[in-house]
Amino acid sequence: MAIADCRLNRDSHSPQVSNRQSKIDNPFFMPANRFNAFTEYGIGIGLRIPHYGQILEKKPVVDWFEIISENYLVDGGRALHVLDQILEQYRVIQHGVSMYFGNAARPNRGHLRKLKGLVKRTGTPWLSDHLCWGSVGGRFTHDLLPMPYTWEAVEWTARNIREVQDTVGIPVAVENVSSYAEFHASEMTEWEFLGEVVERADCGILLDVNNIYVSSKNHDFDPYVYLDAVPVERVAQIDIAGHTQYERYLLDTHDHPVLDPVWKIYAHAIGRIGRTATLLEWDDRIPSFDEVHAEALKANRYLPHANTIAA
Amino acid sequence: MRPANAGIAERFIKPNDRLSAFERLQIYNQQYWWRLLGALGEDFRGLRAVLGEGKFEKLAVAYLEACGSHSWTLRDLGSRLVAFLAERPEYTCPRTDLALDVARVEWARVLAFDDPEKPTPKAEQIAQTPPDRLRLQLQPYLNLLELGHPVDELMRKLKRTGAVAVSNAVSIAAPRQRETVSIRRSRAPIHLAVHRANFSVYYQRLDPEAFRLLQALRSGATLADACATAFAENKKPPEQIATDIKEWFARWMEFGWFSR
Repeated sequence: MAIADCRLNRDSHSPQVSNRQSKIDNPFFMPANRFNAFTEYGIGIGLRIPHYGQILEKKPVVDWFEIISENYLVDGGRALHVLDQILEQYRVIQHGVSMYFGNAARPNRGHLRKLKGLVKRTGTPWLSDHLCWGSVGGRFTHDLLPMPYTWEAVEWTARNIREVQDTVGIPVAVENVSSYAEFHASEMTEWEFLGEVVERADCGILLDVNNIYVSSKNHDFDPYVYLDAVPVERVAQIDIAGHTQYERYLLDTHDHPVLDPVWKIYAHAIGRIGRTATLLEWDDRIPSFDEVHAEALKANRYLPHANTIAA
Repeated sequence: MRPANAGIAERFIKPNDRLSAFERLQIYNQQYWWRLLGALGEDFRGLRAVLGEGKFEKLAVAYLEACGSHSWTLRDLGSRLVAFLAERPEYTCPRTDLALDVARVEWARVLAFDDPEKPTPKAEQIAQTPPDRLRLQLQPYLNLLELGHPVDELMRKLKRTGAVAVSNAVSIAAPRQRETVSIRRSRAPIHLAVHRANFSVYYQRLDPEAFRLLQALRSGATLADACATAFAENKKPPEQIATDIKEWFARWMEFGWFSR
């Protein structure tokens, strides 16, 4: 397929035009939407330090790599050098962990400026960060803290997303987080909150189906009710991951293969949304590159018209 | 988080049939401390080795309670640690001087790893400018330290034993050490450049005069004034001084330490 050639032999990191053309030429390619820049991205994995050597030396076939933006918002050194080498061979999508759309304060201008510079460098067609808060009064927790699902929070969260989206000039997708606490103050469900925020911000969704499952167990809701409420036309990307089951709660650890209940939710999501860029997150106790990639490619079982080389 | 705060937690957080409001918040509390203590411990493995795990943990908790994180990136987490150690010697006593030296080197290492690299001037440009008009900038990633202890030797020793990272590029948790390590104070001050070459961090010992010369350049002095400052108390013959300066500049140009 034309898209496969484009993916395997990419020699430029501005793939949006060529990929868009491929999609239009190829009737098998289903839904891409304005929140993933109408691109068809296949199955990606996280670019993680233990795999740098193998990726740079052996150049394995991978649809795309996710990078954690904050790891590359530096002014020099090895990280940017490696990133530039990766960009010569692969497509990269940026994912952030500290923009904190749900903070009551507006986004940090210095952070935004650096983020915009990195967007220019990577050519990422969209970028994502979390539907959470994480700092207050200039003090950072470096965690993805749960939000009270209130109308007031809808307003300020949407305002922050719009500000980021306007600054970086590409679509932003917000990711639902795993959570372990719920607020008395909440006035709606998480999925209602997500829907209100993305509508007001006019942004995309990074739908993390593992997070839906973890939160559903921690807060006793039906994950399929959540899924069925998601506005499918806004889903830019789907994430899958492993989690850890403790006696009284589930913890989102990203240190295991994807568990069966999460695959089932993924299958349901794909059934609703169609073929969508999918990422496997594996961030702790990271096994070999081959093991991580093979786990990610299991998603092919659920994707219609899969065109990625099987594990 | 203290159980006494349970009432506060209940005001804001819903319990479920398995966890109280306090227990649900406690999950976040634990994650916070594991994450920040882990990050600080990674960046200051040498300090951990000098103080020992227990003492380092007490210091780290006190530091994080006092200073916390004021940046969206964990890279900056240790930016105030050296100042904190200077203000609060009780956490490092009786090894405060050594702890301070190690922390300074380890923070310099963080900066050297990913601070910017600016374009270097051409040798002809430098040669064509009279020394009394020539002002050279130093690369931001170059850090100049005057130390009382041979911390560079300590870091190499720890690297051999696997207690500190070979490079920031690989982030693997260091094994917990039961015993502390130590080094003797040096008879004379040690002048150390912590810098970057080929994307790796290196330690380079400097002569005292070379150190003063670089410091003067960094503060904005002309080359002529920097040389005068560097050799103000030196009794070397002028020919030897000229030879030293020539050799240093050749090496520093090779390292790319000057910038435009």
